Amino acid sequence: MIEFRNVSKQYTPDATALRDVSFTVAKGELVFLAGPSGAGKSTLLKMIAAVERPSAGQVIVNGQDIARIKPAAVPFLRRNLGLIFQQQRLLTDRSILANVMLPLLVTGASRAQAEQRARAALDKVGLLERADAQPLALSGGEQQRVSIARAIVNRPQVILADEPTANLDRASANKVLDALKAFHSVGVTCLISSHDEQMLDAAARVIHLKHGQLEVAA
Amino acid sequence: MTLWFRQHRYALAAALVHLRRSPGGFLFNILVVAIALALPFTGVTLLDNVRPMSEQLSVDPELSVFLKQDTPREQAEALAVSLRQTVRQTVHDPQAKIVFTPREKALEQLKDKSGLADVLTTLGENPLPDSYVLKLDAFRNAQAGGDVDQLAAQIRALPGVDTVQVDSAWVKRLAALLNVLRLALLLLAATLGTVVVAVIFNTIRLQVMTQREEILVSKLIGATDSFIHRPFYYTGALLGLCAGGVALGAVSLALRPLNVAIAEFARLYASEFQLAPLPPLAMAGLLALSAGLGLIGALLSVQRHLSRLN
Repeated sequence: MIEFRNVSKQYTPDATALRDVSFTVAKGELVFLAGPSGAGKSTLLKMIAAVERPSAGQVIVNGQDIARIKPAAVPFLRRNLGLIFQQQRLLTDRSILANVMLPLLVTGASRAQAEQRARAALDKVGLLERADAQPLALSGGEQQRVSIARAIVNRPQVILADEPTANLDRASANKVLDALKAFHSVGVTCLISSHDEQMLDAAARVIHLKHGQLEVAA
Repeated sequence: MTLWFRQHRYALAAALVHLRRSPGGFLFNILVVAIALALPFTGVTLLDNVRPMSEQLSVDPELSVFLKQDTPREQAEALAVSLRQTVRQTVHDPQAKIVFTPREKALEQLKDKSGLADVLTTLGENPLPDSYVLKLDAFRNAQAGGDVDQLAAQIRALPGVDTVQVDSAWVKRLAALLNVLRLALLLLAATLGTVVVAVIFNTIRLQVMTQREEILVSKLIGATDSFIHRPFYYTGALLGLCAGGVALGAVSLALRPLNVAIAEFARLYASEFQLAPLPPLAMAGLLALSAGLGLIGALLSVQRHLSRLN
C-alpha cells in the first residue's frame, strides 16, 4: 500500500529531512511514527500525500510513484487519503458540517449527498449534535474530531495523521485515538505520527525516526 | 453534464458567498470599474448615433456648376458636351455622371425641401440659375483630390459658367474626422480596458490572499486546480458584468440632460437630432465585453497568485 525505497529528502544542502529511509506499510495496518521534533515525521507524511517529493529514492502509494506523478493526478491521489493535521486547519468561516462536506463537494458530489455523508461522519466521531456550530466554538479535542470526520468522509483507503493529539488533554487524546482505531478496525490503513508515549506503548508497530534516519522498524 | 453543471453552480455560489461577505468592497470595485467603462461606452454611444448620419452623406466628390442667369437654355444644355470632355481630359473619369438641373426644377426642389414655398412664391421671378451636378468617382488618393480642384478651375473658365462649387470636400473631412475619433476611441477603450483588467486583477489577488487557508486545505483534500480557480473566475466575470451594467445605466441616464442641450443646438440648424441609447444587442455585446474583461483580469491574477501557493 505504502512503500518507501531508500528515500532521502534534502531541502537545502544544509537541511536534510530524510536519509535513505525504507519501509513498507501493508493494507489495513496501523503504524505509528515516533521521533523527536525535526526527525522527519512530517516530511515523511507530506511525501505520502505528494505535498513534498523525494530528492532520491521512491515513494510508492497505491502503486503510484510520488516522484513521477503528474500534477494533474495529485488531487485524485489525495482523495484516497484522509489527512489529519496537528493544527486542525478547519475553515473558521463556516460550520463544522460545511467543513466536513468540503472533501465531498470537491469530488463533485451533490450538496444533499455531501450533507448526508458529512452528518454520518460527524455521528461517528460523536459530534452530530454540534453540526451547525462554528469551529471556534468547539474545544481543541472536538476540533480534532471534526478534522477526523473530514478525513474519513470520503471513505479513504489511508489515514495520515500528523501529531493528532499533540495539543490535547488525556481525555480528548484518548477520544481521538479511539476514533482512529475505530477506522483502522474496519480496514483503513492508518499512519500516525506522535510523541505520545501512552499512545506508542499500545501500538502494534512503531517506526522510529531520528535525524531523518530510520532507527527501528518494528 | 450534471457534474459539470453542479461544479459550476458550486463555483458561482462560492463566488456569491465571498462577495456577500464584503459587500462594501465589492460595490467600491464595481464603482471604480464602472467609471473606467463609462467613458468608452459614452464614446461608443456617440459614434453609434453619428455613424448613420455620416454613412448617408456622399463622400464622392461632387461639383455643382452654376450658370450665369442670362445663359440661354440651348447654350446651357449644350454645355454638357464641354463638361464631359473636360472631365475626361482632367480626371480621366469615364464613369462621371453629369446631371443638368433646369432653374425651374431647382426652384421646385427648394420649395419642397426648405418648407419656404410661401416665401418663394412672393418673389415673383425665379432667382435660381440653371446648373449642373458632376458626380465623380471617389477620391482615390491625394493626387485625385488635386485633380478635382484643377477640374473645378477649368470648368470655371468655360463660357456661360458663373460659379463652381466643390460640394463634397467637407463630407470628406467629416469622414476623416470620424475615422480619427473612432481610432481615438479604440485607443481610449484599450487603455481603460487595461485599467479594468488591472483593477480586477488586484481584487482577485486580495481575495486569493484572504482565502489562502481555504485554498490550501482544499488542495490537501483533493480539489483540482479548476475547482479552486473557478470561483475566482466567476467573481471577476460578475464584477465586470455588474460594472458594465452600472456604466451603461449611467450613460443612459446622462443622455437625458445631454439631449436637452443637443435639442437646443440642433434647433438652430432646423434639425431634430437626438442621441438615442444603444440598441439592446449592442448593450448585450458591451456587457459581454465587460464580463470578458473581468474574466481576463481574474484569469491573469489566478494564474499568477495561485501558482505561488503550489
